[in-house]
Amino acid sequence: MRNLKEVILSITNRCNLRCRMCDIPFGKVSELSTDQWKGVIHDASRLGAETIVFSGGEPLIREDIFDLVRFARKNNMNACITSNGLLLDEEKAAKLKESAVSVVNISIEGVKETHDSLRGSGSFDKALAALDNLKKYKIESTVASTVSKYNYADLPDIVNTAKVHGSTTVRLQPFNIIFLKDPKRLSEFLIDKNDIPKVEGIIKRFIDSSREYKIATNPSSYLAKIPVYLSGRKLRPRSCSALWYSCPINPNGDVFPCWIEGADNKLIGNITQSGLYELWLSEKRISAINLIKEKGCKGCLMSCYDEAFDNQLSKEYVISQAKKIKKIIDYRKVINKTRQFLNRQLTNLKLRYRFYVSYRGSFFKLIKRRLANVYNKQKETGDDRMPNKEKILLEISKAKIKINKEIQSL
Amino acid sequence: MENFLKKFTQNLAYYFSEHLNKPIAKPLWIYISLSHKCTYRCQMCGVVNILEGYELSSDTVKRILDEIASWKWDSTIVITGGEPFLREDIFDIIDHGSSLGLKLEVVSNGSLITPALSKKIIASGLKNIAISLDGSRKESHDLVRAKGAFEKALDAIKNLAASKRALKSGPQISVWTTIMKENVNELFEMIPLVKNLGVECLVYHPVVVAQEDMQNTSSEARFWLNNNDLEVLKKQVAKISSYEKHYGLVAFLHDPYMWVKHFKQELTKKEWKCNPFVFINVGPDGNVRSCGAAFGNIIDSSLGDCLKSSQADKARKIMKGCRKPCLQTCWANPEADSLPDIIDTFIRDLRRDKPGAKEKNEVLTAALAKLTEYEELVKECEI
Repeated sequence: MRNLKEVILSITNRCNLRCRMCDIPFGKVSELSTDQWKGVIHDASRLGAETIVFSGGEPLIREDIFDLVRFARKNNMNACITSNGLLLDEEKAAKLKESAVSVVNISIEGVKETHDSLRGSGSFDKALAALDNLKKYKIESTVASTVSKYNYADLPDIVNTAKVHGSTTVRLQPFNIIFLKDPKRLSEFLIDKNDIPKVEGIIKRFIDSSREYKIATNPSSYLAKIPVYLSGRKLRPRSCSALWYSCPINPNGDVFPCWIEGADNKLIGNITQSGLYELWLSEKRISAINLIKEKGCKGCLMSCYDEAFDNQLSKEYVISQAKKIKKIIDYRKVINKTRQFLNRQLTNLKLRYRFYVSYRGSFFKLIKRRLANVYNKQKETGDDRMPNKEKILLEISKAKIKINKEIQSL
Repeated sequence: MENFLKKFTQNLAYYFSEHLNKPIAKPLWIYISLSHKCTYRCQMCGVVNILEGYELSSDTVKRILDEIASWKWDSTIVITGGEPFLREDIFDIIDHGSSLGLKLEVVSNGSLITPALSKKIIASGLKNIAISLDGSRKESHDLVRAKGAFEKALDAIKNLAASKRALKSGPQISVWTTIMKENVNELFEMIPLVKNLGVECLVYHPVVVAQEDMQNTSSEARFWLNNNDLEVLKKQVAKISSYEKHYGLVAFLHDPYMWVKHFKQELTKKEWKCNPFVFINVGPDGNVRSCGAAFGNIIDSSLGDCLKSSQADKARKIMKGCRKPCLQTCWANPEADSLPDIIDTFIRDLRRDKPGAKEKNEVLTAALAKLTEYEELVKECEI
């Protein structure tokens, strides 16, 4: 059983924007209290989770977000916030810095016109201001986009924006129907099949420019799948590790195996009834996961399992590579030090040898003689052992046989 | 025929003595040092300073000889010193020994051997007379011994040879040479020199640095050969051994190339092994030794009792544990080191002799009986 790695907390459904591709804010549910969320975070750390993602809705709407982030950090976990940036003024940025947040993820959908048309007018400038505030307080910021028919053309510009405003990463995720209440609106966001090569070209340009600006993105094999997916094809991953190491939790405390399945109300349980720890280790969850594995899932291209597409960007791989590099650096230090030490010793030895030879004669002959002595001693001790009774008796019998032969030959 | 069987049984005795730690065999070499008095003060020999004033009385020596004769063992008795011819009763002793049928030898530096004495020596019942000669040049011999010693030694050999020629019989005249740093480049030159003088046997033996401390064989020692000398020695050995193959004269008790190894200190016990039953030495104080520790005194007990004593056992154990082979001619009996060798030598000698079938059968049966006897003994003993 693989360990839990990240817990995605949708701490609220409330939002200060009404975006075109997201109907979450319309689903009004009760929310867990601060203490209940802290209980979840504590359980997550007990299960060995490394990351807590605060999502929503707009997580900054909740006043206790800083408290929760601080708590997660105290439990030795990374704390990430996914925000639209509207509320992220300087004051909030300072508070976030104080609560030691790891990463803040700001959604940017493209150039100003695209962004504003999708998210609401004025939201683009505020998002950029949020990025600037984060930069000012030296908080790592990343940029996230939901790729759809409306914004795929702007992808290279997003990289540009991210670079200018000091973000380290651009995370892409194609549009998914689960965020909409009405499934009929799906076709509104999908691209025409004939446009696939065009989108592919843009994705390629996006990857190129991200490399040029040294901005991190999803694995390129994952990005390469986006055009096909957006054309309406169902993609089923061969293995979805998200089932094993990622845990989504709804604002009301519902825990389900995966976001997509969660939309079908495949519940594992609720935080208010039993803690995350019990739920995660429960047989119900394991059987649910096994069921999904056996029957196969609906298929998605959510970024929560993008690691499955590229081994080279999987966390373990990155960590092991980093460790290797660190080791190599250490080795070089050690080697350098050892070389210096050896050089010193060598000069010492040379001087001593010269001194020694001056009155003792050649060092090597001395060693040779000593070795020869040791060798001889070993030989002698080997020979010192007298033959035992059996050996002597055997020799006598052999001698008798020889003499008997001689007698017979007469 | 009889001789082969005797040799065979003797060798068996040495072999089993060594392995069963029992004095079954009698000593092959018995060195009797009458006194440490000497005409010279040689640099490589320190015995003059030990046991000063001690002399073995004529009666004691005769008693020893009587006992040795009673063993009926093929031993060789070497009368040594000091200088044996300083003793006035030396011919008395020799006559006594030879009348008992013993093999007697005398080692001398030749300083006292005048023509008159040499006639006496040749006429006595001695089997061998050995003169020490440490070089083919006057300088090297005189350096270690005394001024004029070389001339005296040569004169002694000449006198002996002349007497022997006149008498047409007598002891073998031999020369003993110590291999040391001073004479290493003239070892082969010795051969034509002594051959012209009428010597019948030439024996080389490596130097013992100090009589008191046999184990002191460091390359810094006075007479020890250093690396350059070893190269010279190698060449000399090659010449000597090829001469020996064609003309004899030189007597080797072991492979002469072992000398080189010996001086390199690379000789192992596998190649050279002392058999503690082969040799004993009776000192002028009457103490009996094999090598190192004394075990009993001849004046108040017999030689046989000394050999059987528990002290003798201890001394032999020390000898077995000896780590530095000294390569002296006296200590070893390489023929008796391994049982297969003893048997092979015996059978080879028999075949070479080509005896009659009946005789051969008798001898072989006797040998078989002897072996069976020892087999019983081994079965009884704890090793």
